[in-house]
Amino acid sequence: MTSYAFIGAVSQGLVYGLMALGVFLTFRILDFPDLTVDGSLPLGAAVSAMGILAGLNPYVSLIPAVLAGFLAGVVTGVLAARFGILHLLASILTMTALYSINLRVMGNRPNISLIGQPTVFEPLKRLGLSSSLAALVFFLIVLALAWLFLVWLMRTEFGQALQATGDNPKMIASLGVNVRVTVIVGVGLSNALVALAGALVAQNQGLADVSLGVGTIVVGLASAVVGGTIVSGRRSMAVRIAAVALGSVVYRLAVALALQLKIGSFSFNPSDLNLITSILVIGALLVPKLRAKPKPLKSHA
Amino acid sequence: MLKLSGLYKTFGQGGPNEIVALRGLDLLVKKGELVTIIGSNGSGKSTLMGCVAGSLAVDAGTIVLGSANVTAWPERRRASLISRVFQDPLSGTCASMTVEENLALAHRRGRPRGLRRGILKGEREFFRAALAPIGLGLESRLTDQVGLLSGGQRQALTLVMATMVRPALLLLDEHTAAQDPKTAALTMRLTMELVERDKLTTLMITHNLNQALEYGQRLVMLNQGRVVLDFAAEAKATLTVKSLLDHFLASAERGDSFSDSQLFN
Repeated sequence: MTSYAFIGAVSQGLVYGLMALGVFLTFRILDFPDLTVDGSLPLGAAVSAMGILAGLNPYVSLIPAVLAGFLAGVVTGVLAARFGILHLLASILTMTALYSINLRVMGNRPNISLIGQPTVFEPLKRLGLSSSLAALVFFLIVLALAWLFLVWLMRTEFGQALQATGDNPKMIASLGVNVRVTVIVGVGLSNALVALAGALVAQNQGLADVSLGVGTIVVGLASAVVGGTIVSGRRSMAVRIAAVALGSVVYRLAVALALQLKIGSFSFNPSDLNLITSILVIGALLVPKLRAKPKPLKSHA
Repeated sequence: MLKLSGLYKTFGQGGPNEIVALRGLDLLVKKGELVTIIGSNGSGKSTLMGCVAGSLAVDAGTIVLGSANVTAWPERRRASLISRVFQDPLSGTCASMTVEENLALAHRRGRPRGLRRGILKGEREFFRAALAPIGLGLESRLTDQVGLLSGGQRQALTLVMATMVRPALLLLDEHTAAQDPKTAALTMRLTMELVERDKLTTLMITHNLNQALEYGQRLVMLNQGRVVLDFAAEAKATLTVKSLLDHFLASAERGDSFSDSQLFN
């Protein structure tokens, strides 16, 4: 792998690590499989891009992007927690609605170019970093801050209630916690992180695209799975969260390697990525079940 | 003091599977009293617990606890006054969280959860002091995941959690039913220690007639959603399992043909 490809893969891993942290928050902490992310990732990209085109400072453009992602999550959370719609279905409804909303946000265009526009990477570039290194350093800083934020949040009373809500909602409700509000805020925070990832991806690749989010949830799960494999066993929350971010980087490196693989005349296309990722996640979900001994059939002897 | 007046609760109203679980249940529990509640399946025991705790809303009637009419309060608001221990030892604790995290969650029962630290510095000492008397060595396992504990240890932890902030009312919902006799005896011993230490007003549902006779100042039997037998301390003292069983069967046969509860003083 060339150093250019390596830096690119690590950068991608870091920025999508933010998204993976969001997926971890819903899927692992809240036990709430949330497909909203497939819509909130391009939502963040669209809002930030439109903000920049409207003359907003690229840093400032991240604020409405994050808020939009939070709101998208709140919609899913309200549908599921307040109105009792199955969480998967609630998130699919929001995701589907977001497709139209994202097109509206982008002025009914499927994509917006940010080529030649100012980005959040400018200050680092001015320090003399190449654009690919600038992105890498910036993503590393943002991801580290997101990690710190989540580790801090999980130690607060609210974070503890959030973990308890995912583990045993009946118990935490009997202790006086408003489980609905906890779920709604949790799903909102998750999608805020995902939208932030979307905004940064758009600024990095100079393009906000309505199809940016396809397969986001699966990639997020893959990162969580890979991270969980790297640091298996009983670990503190801080290590588990860091593992998800690390998993995202390892996942991107593995993908980059796979794409370079040549077996005879066969090689992978970038379009094979979704298939490979899905198989990876399926495998990871099946391994514990295959390891467990099959239940013996009941006999009436 | 807990005053239940004319509680009604129907499930599946008007449907083919309509079940009237409570039909005008009245019960007055004095402060500091431990009342054991028995009754056959479907007599309304668990519905009663749900209605008092607030996880179920009553169709009619009032629930007064102390000086507050809590009938319209949601479960999370009642949590400031009421602690509940469930039958399944797994349902009272969070398996993926540590012993101290579970205790800290319970320490904040009924309070809003903000952005302060989930476990404060001085709290661990308090937790150790709360766990030491139960003699299971949990005070040295504060950072162990609760999922690693046995069912008996988890139910003991749940009891400590339920009583660490003194509740105005403690609800025990067949909390030893899922345990083997030895563990159940241990859980009951701990329950009585905690109840007597804080003179807790307690409702205890049980299927175990021996338990119902042995513990508490009063024994109440439900049938068809009403209190049908009510033994105060002296009458309760003369009861045996056999005489209780006779009452049990007799009242089950009579069904709901009599409306006023029989009082045995």
